[in-house]
Amino acid sequence: MSFSYTQENTIKVASLLNKYPQKKALVLPLLWMAQKQDSFISEDAISHISEFLNLEYMHIYSVATFYTMFKLQKPQKKLIEVCRTLSCELNGSEDIKSYLDNNYGDDYEIIEVECMGACSGAPMCTVDGKYHENLTPKSLDEVLK
Amino acid sequence: MITKIVSKNFEIPNSHTMEVALENGRYSSLKSLFEKEPQEIIETIKQSGLRGKGGGGALAGNKWQIVNDWDGTKYVVVNADESEPGTFKDRRILSLDPHLLIEGIIATCYAVSSNISYIYVRGEYEEFSDVLQAAIDEAYEKNFLGNGAKYKVDITIHRGAGAYICGEKSALLESLEGNRGHPRLKPHSPEPEFYFGEPTLVNNVETIASVPFIVQNGADAYRAYGTEKSPGTLLFAISGNINKPGVYEAEFGVSMLDYIEKIGGGVKNGKKLKAVIPGGASTPVLPAGLLKDAKLDYESLKSIGSALGTGGMIILDEDASMVKALKNLLRFYHHESCGQCTPCREGTSWSDKILDRFLAKKATKEDLNILRSVSKTMNGKTICVFAPAASGVIDGFLEHFEAEFLECIV
Repeated sequence: MSFSYTQENTIKVASLLNKYPQKKALVLPLLWMAQKQDSFISEDAISHISEFLNLEYMHIYSVATFYTMFKLQKPQKKLIEVCRTLSCELNGSEDIKSYLDNNYGDDYEIIEVECMGACSGAPMCTVDGKYHENLTPKSLDEVLK
Repeated sequence: MITKIVSKNFEIPNSHTMEVALENGRYSSLKSLFEKEPQEIIETIKQSGLRGKGGGGALAGNKWQIVNDWDGTKYVVVNADESEPGTFKDRRILSLDPHLLIEGIIATCYAVSSNISYIYVRGEYEEFSDVLQAAIDEAYEKNFLGNGAKYKVDITIHRGAGAYICGEKSALLESLEGNRGHPRLKPHSPEPEFYFGEPTLVNNVETIASVPFIVQNGADAYRAYGTEKSPGTLLFAISGNINKPGVYEAEFGVSMLDYIEKIGGGVKNGKKLKAVIPGGASTPVLPAGLLKDAKLDYESLKSIGSALGTGGMIILDEDASMVKALKNLLRFYHHESCGQCTPCREGTSWSDKILDRFLAKKATKEDLNILRSVSKTMNGKTICVFAPAASGVIDGFLEHFEAEFLECIV
């Protein structure tokens, strides 16, 4: 299985090359594009990026593993991220996490994350990256039904 | 008590679109901008006393001067990696008034003779970053940006991918160069930051968004707000056990308790105030008893043993467990340590684990001693200020709420 960018993404890559003083700056944008395209970053994608940027495979791999949002395994389920940091915890994030585990654990991968910058809407979670704030069991049901 | 400079357009419907932005004064500072020489703009920013609004509070004008004076291709990098727990203000600017940020970037680039700007937005803020990108596209169409503009500026959004430490400016630049977000060693004498070896200015979103007001109205108009040493306003934020959590702009120097009562609507459920973490998780906690005369400015909070930080207050009510709160924060530090320096990587990990024993009420006297000693080892012995911040957090909780920790010792 080899990796290549779609035609649309290949055009994007070409335009990105003009925006940075060195090709190396494209590591994060290219990893993001690969993940958007395939839902995760495969070894083949890392090889492709490494060859394209003329950087060691290990460099790309080490960058990909440093950032928590990059997924190196193909996700089996949709992702829910529940914020667990202080303002959310003070407003009941633990209950929200249990409610999700008990009712939606089969259909979603439910993980806890650190502060998402939504403290005024605590407790909060994201579903497929989209923010949902001021959560209650009822509002969660409406989002997830 | 609310004073709107940066947040002036936040509540106007469709404030993020070019049409509404133009109707409400956006880009009108460019006329005053181009009438002046770049150095005059830098002088105005210096006179205004504008301080960095990302947490550090360094004087912006001085940073601009250093970048301006350094030879090379100049870059302006906007730090939108907002990840400090309790802080959610920059997100408002990105999604509610992106044209104000773009206007500020144009002025900043003009002042320091840069034509290229990057906005580093935390990966989680994708939907807000999309709004910003649409605004940038509109600004190109209207020739505020790009080759057709009066002064050429190109703006590129660079998406982070989930690493708190990339909010540290040198880690941010490492990330922007395509590396792991590891902070760099700090210089002994003043120098700019460097992007691929070229002189670079890194400023927070809100700092840049404050620039158009100063360019248009002058330094004195900005100094009319706030205090002598902390002039102007800040997008203070309030969350936790509070009735009206949110972002509300106010002058520096207002009373913290007034802000909590009058703007934040007081502690939730009629409970008593126990403590406030005043400026994001990295600022030491303050017990209610110390807050009588506390003012929301850099000097006042420093004088009572904490810091203004990002101005993002987390309110803890009388029922809050301080052991649990510290555990929450140390888990955060453990998770977000970049792992580069041993005292931080090991210290944040061990202090997090020790707190588990306190939470289970199975701690020993020795655990408390180890916690204090780990805190000491983390302070001042690492490349960046992440570990010293964790250390300050531990010391703050132990100084003011030691009794609660002693209750957890068997």
